[in-house]
Amino acid sequence: MAEYQNLFTQVQVRHAHDPGVPTADDSERLPDHGFSYWLGKIGDAQLGPVHLGFAGVIALITGGLSIFLMGMVMLASVGWDPVQFVRLLPWLSVEPPTPEWGLRIPPLNEGGWWIWCGFLLTVSIFAWWYRMYSRARTLGMGTHVAWSFAAAIWLYLVLGFIRPVLMGTWSEAVPFGLFPHLDWTAAFSIRYGNLFYNPFHMLSIAFLYGSALLFAMHAATILAVAKMGGEREIDQITDRGTAAERSQLFWRWTMGFNATMESIHRWAWWFAALTVITGGIGIVLTGTAVDNWYLWGQKHGLVPDYPQVWGDPVPALQPGEADGQLLAPPADGFPGLDTSMNGVFTLPGTELQVTFADATLLQEMGR
Amino acid sequence: MKNRGLSLVLMGGLLAATGCELPPVDTVATGFRGTGMEHVSNPGTVADSMRAIAARIQPASGTAPAAMEPAPPGTWENVQVLGHLSEAEFNRFMLNMTIWVAQGTGQGCNYCHVVDSEGVVDFVSDNIYTKVVSRDMISMTQDLNANWETHVGEAGVNCWTCHQGQALPTNYWFFADERRGALIQNFVNAPRQPERYLLDEEGVRVQSGAALTADVDNPVSTNDTRHAYWVMLQMTEALGVNCTYCHMSPRWGDWEESPPTRTTALRGVRMTRELNQSYMLPLQNAWPAERLGPMGDGPKIQCATCHMGAYIPQYGHPASHGQDHPAITQIGFPHAGSPAPTMEMDPEAPPTGAAPGAATTGAGMR
Repeated sequence: MAEYQNLFTQVQVRHAHDPGVPTADDSERLPDHGFSYWLGKIGDAQLGPVHLGFAGVIALITGGLSIFLMGMVMLASVGWDPVQFVRLLPWLSVEPPTPEWGLRIPPLNEGGWWIWCGFLLTVSIFAWWYRMYSRARTLGMGTHVAWSFAAAIWLYLVLGFIRPVLMGTWSEAVPFGLFPHLDWTAAFSIRYGNLFYNPFHMLSIAFLYGSALLFAMHAATILAVAKMGGEREIDQITDRGTAAERSQLFWRWTMGFNATMESIHRWAWWFAALTVITGGIGIVLTGTAVDNWYLWGQKHGLVPDYPQVWGDPVPALQPGEADGQLLAPPADGFPGLDTSMNGVFTLPGTELQVTFADATLLQEMGR
Repeated sequence: MKNRGLSLVLMGGLLAATGCELPPVDTVATGFRGTGMEHVSNPGTVADSMRAIAARIQPASGTAPAAMEPAPPGTWENVQVLGHLSEAEFNRFMLNMTIWVAQGTGQGCNYCHVVDSEGVVDFVSDNIYTKVVSRDMISMTQDLNANWETHVGEAGVNCWTCHQGQALPTNYWFFADERRGALIQNFVNAPRQPERYLLDEEGVRVQSGAALTADVDNPVSTNDTRHAYWVMLQMTEALGVNCTYCHMSPRWGDWEESPPTRTTALRGVRMTRELNQSYMLPLQNAWPAERLGPMGDGPKIQCATCHMGAYIPQYGHPASHGQDHPAITQIGFPHAGSPAPTMEMDPEAPPTGAAPGAATTGAGMR
């Protein structure tokens, strides 16, 4: 890695394999490597060496198995029909157990697959986390990457494990599936009185949008001074060049304050990590402590008193007309439809052939 | 060249982002500022469907009489629900029904009236399922026009509103077959159909009236809420609207801040339930096999049966109104000497074999 390039000096040099800095466990570095012209367009052209290690092997096996199981459960749900699998894939789902199972482990087809997929995925994620941590340690780096990943794992665990355990049922967890998990998100907000009134959700959104803003500001600043060597940020923390001086003056001119070459990364790290940390706190409080965030907001002066722009509901509701019931537990099958009676019957006294589907209904109708 | 490629990509992205609808999309704020209450519609799509409606319009024949005396006894035999009509109005209504419902079959009167062994149309015989069903449908339309003005308005509806000249309306539903049942089971943990809400399933509310969990016992789970969400989605799809057409977005359940459309929709749900219970289920053993769903039940109505993607059926086209047809705006009664209506087929009559129109089975809506 003797050469130095930036955006304006795109030269791809093919050179001998660069194994990187020596460390204590070089034996685990895979020797295979290559060069990619297209990777060179967006980053370093050298591919590898990759360190897999024990944790990496575990992560790939469990993660691959988890995704494979999800796919098989989804394929089974369309009767093993590959065409339907492709057509319906966005709507297919691996569902958590129903509420009556509580925190027990149900048979595979009644939510057991969800437990297995979730368990394997969690093992994979933890192994991947350890891999990040141990690689950073081996290189003598700080472990900032691993801890920011841990912040995301916190939100993942809240959604799939911590909150369901606090609620006493796996059924509160998120299903695996494209639209199903989005539907779950919408339903979660609807059920608990609109998550926008959850202050931790507000914080999470503020940090999320703030992360994007900081990311854009920082990236734009560095690119703007790249021709002065501005992307050599780490050098410039200790040895300020003209790039650092100019970019920092730029922000003092425009908003009176500048982050330093070092502190901008702390800003970005904390904004990113706090997005998921505050988000997780907001989720874990929902349903365990707060049942309706809108009413919670009203109680604490967060929600304004909106005027009734339509006047009374018009045409006026009769007393009791709007009294509804809470969503009831699911009906067991289709009561009133006894399919065992399905079939074509001949009307008594005629040769008329009619299909009777519903013995109960026929009984009620006195036939 | 490069710019053209880029603009093509951008346009493609825009199309994907707008759900592949051609812009522009109209957004009209309907509520208090900041509440996100808005009605979103695509004027192009609406204009297309209005043109399609205009193209398939069949104006009703004749005009309603200013005053009408029920036909004198002995005018007809076996007229069970239209005894309140004069003979002229009766004939006009029969003619209109032929246009509204039987046009697509090409069979005219014979779609509902059997031809006897001598080749003569036997208007008296009930030995054909289409006549039994038609009578039930006439009773249903009389009921909803007379008793559900809170939903259908003063204008009311007629047969064309849903049938559009076809023997079967475009949208109706059956109990899901086992395969779909398995799919649904995987979707929502339980075999639940959103349409069941329009038949016998009460209760779609999920939010509680208290801020804190400690103050309320609300057993509805997040995953159950997805069922409520689908019940509502079948309504928005049927009406071509979004959630805020009826609901105050910060708080779905609050009636004080809900637009009047929600009240109308509530009555529509109650009406559909009652019509399914009182008129569709009792037809169960009148249907021939080819009219039954995979679980063996007869067709049932849903919001989309009449609305077909429009928040007012047929966008309120006068041809869809019932008000000029006393046959279906007043509750009828049997003509002198005719029996009261039942859903019974005449067991004494000789069989006529397969019902006509068997080939026109429509595709039911999911």
